[in-house]
Amino acid sequence: MIATIAAKEFRELVRDGRFRWAAVVVGSLLIVAALAGWTAWRTQAQTRDAAQSTMQAMWFNQPAKNPHSAAHYGLWAFKPQMPLGFIDRGVDPYTGTASWLEAHRQNEFRFRPAMDATAAQRFGEWTTAGVLQLLVPLLIILLAHGAFAGERERGTLRQLASLGVPARTLLIGKAVGIGGAMGLLLVPVAAVGAALVMRDSGADGLFRLFALGGVYFAYFTLFLVLTLFVSARAASARGALIVLLSLWAWNGLVAPRLAADMARGVAPTPTARAFSADVQRSLANGVDGHSPASTRNRLLQDSLLAAHGVSHVDSLPFNYSGYSMQRGEEHANGVFDHHFGELWAQYAAQDRAQLAGAVVAPLVAVRQLSMAIAGTDFAQHRAFADAAESYRRLLNKAMNDAIADHAAPGQGFSYLGDSTLWAGVGPFEYEAPGLGRVLVAQAPSLLFVTAWLFALVVTVRRERRLSVL
Amino acid sequence: MAYSPLLEARGLTKRYGDTVALDALDLGVNSGEVYCLLGANGAGKSTAINCFLDFVRPDTGSALIGGSVVADDPIGTKQRLAYIPETVMLYGNLSAVENLEYFATLATGTRPARPDLLKHLITAGLTEVQADQRVGGFSKGMRQKVGIAIALAKGADVLLLDEPTSGLDPKASNEFHGLLGMLRAHGAAVLMATHDLFRAKESGTRVGIMKRGRKVAELRTDEIGHADLEQLYLQHMHD
Repeated sequence: MIATIAAKEFRELVRDGRFRWAAVVVGSLLIVAALAGWTAWRTQAQTRDAAQSTMQAMWFNQPAKNPHSAAHYGLWAFKPQMPLGFIDRGVDPYTGTASWLEAHRQNEFRFRPAMDATAAQRFGEWTTAGVLQLLVPLLIILLAHGAFAGERERGTLRQLASLGVPARTLLIGKAVGIGGAMGLLLVPVAAVGAALVMRDSGADGLFRLFALGGVYFAYFTLFLVLTLFVSARAASARGALIVLLSLWAWNGLVAPRLAADMARGVAPTPTARAFSADVQRSLANGVDGHSPASTRNRLLQDSLLAAHGVSHVDSLPFNYSGYSMQRGEEHANGVFDHHFGELWAQYAAQDRAQLAGAVVAPLVAVRQLSMAIAGTDFAQHRAFADAAESYRRLLNKAMNDAIADHAAPGQGFSYLGDSTLWAGVGPFEYEAPGLGRVLVAQAPSLLFVTAWLFALVVTVRRERRLSVL
Repeated sequence: MAYSPLLEARGLTKRYGDTVALDALDLGVNSGEVYCLLGANGAGKSTAINCFLDFVRPDTGSALIGGSVVADDPIGTKQRLAYIPETVMLYGNLSAVENLEYFATLATGTRPARPDLLKHLITAGLTEVQADQRVGGFSKGMRQKVGIAIALAKGADVLLLDEPTSGLDPKASNEFHGLLGMLRAHGAAVLMATHDLFRAKESGTRVGIMKRGRKVAELRTDEIGHADLEQLYLQHMHD
């Protein structure tokens, strides 16, 4: 019975000119967005890989120079392009993907595309994820809002009900039929996506695409069942459309915005200026604010001289400049850990607070999941930033240790390092978290989406009697 | 077997606010009977039929089909009935055969073969060419024929007809009542709401006259002439 209803809904939709046009328009938009995103992604991936290897080569091949100069010269770390980055760019445009690793300081990420964007671009940039999150639900509403209300207005619902077709059977059949018609539009898009992902990223990309497909399948199912439910309850197709468009705007435009604002209120972050000033203050005076650099240096010198029973730093068994620079570096690292730790914690708190918005708008959870699976969410940005910072510290320690161990007393800044030292640091290698870890981290979002589906199914199951008049 | 009408209303009552749509309606329709409900607009004829379909739940009293209470088993009691409203509404994008196939499959749970579907449509008075046309352009008379074909395909022995011939031209109306006679001859119980006194007398075996939700008169059509029926009807309407 369900198959019969589904087949008829499918056939009717496919014969409907409006559906064909809408499907062609949205399908083309999706494919164009995917192709355009992929082209840009590919160019950026190639540029990134080239820049990363140039950077690494420059480091390995730099001429003999003082290790501390080399550390100041530093190098850039570039975030690798994730396989599905072209589908959902996530926070990348706002956080940036390149970090300069230099001596003494943990830098914030630079070259954020959002910095160059005009105000109009905020609305103009369509990623595949954007089309999937906003336009496809709109299409579902336009196609399915009359599924019951329209039949009721035309009188065919009475004819159906007089046959003894249970309301639930009718609803499931319609969902399957309309879903099938949507499949005509979405399956080719998924195939294009799979082909693009396969080209560059192989199996891992495909698994991610599969997971992403699952999330969007759940999201669309949610919208379809919601639309049919409202249509079954509404007095007229027009009424159903108005209710559904309001829900769409709430879910897609209003609620995510409100959730973000609320999250900012719950977990405020300092301005870039204030943050940088705080870091500077702590670097100078210590995190406690009472141990200025001069005091710290004097204490260090005194304790070293006493421990080794000598009266001048040049008499220490190692180079004092290298040693004290590393101690300074470690002090700074503590400062960075403190301040960046606080900042990251606030961002994480914002993410959690924002996710609470998923109680009233499933898109909030879907957006999180989409970014996370695409590898462009904030948590994965942080994972990369942490890896880059660890590498920076490793590199600085190697440079300072070389001076401490090998430079003659008082000659810390004329000592020259060579290619053995450069090579000893090793290349910067970053492995992004795998899909399994990402999904575990996204358990709350997954739970929200599941809860929404569950709530809707329960509501529909309780719907026994269809009003046909 | 004990006397048990296929269609039965027991004290059927329905109120909408202060308006009484049905007031303790009792009636029974046996196999092979055509019971015509007469009455002005708003007399409760459609409400009575809608109670048998569970489109309307009565406040008190019950509608029974084949001895089962409709409100208790809304799906089961529909297995043997067919419903033909004033205009049979169909899916305009589908052809007559496709419409019939859809409704017949949902009604019986099995997909009838095309020759069977065609046979029913032709029995109902459509041509083979019309059967494959999309019903979007069908006249009202042609739609009613598809409605009859649905009843045939379902093998329904209970027919609920809500002014099925109003607005039909005399020839189409005549054809429709011919088909009705055929179904009755096969043992169907028919309940029909109508304004057409002439057809009620011609096709009906009994008539009930309704006014403000109440049945004010009931009589056998073979006991009364055309003129007398009209006289009786008008007399009740004037009270």
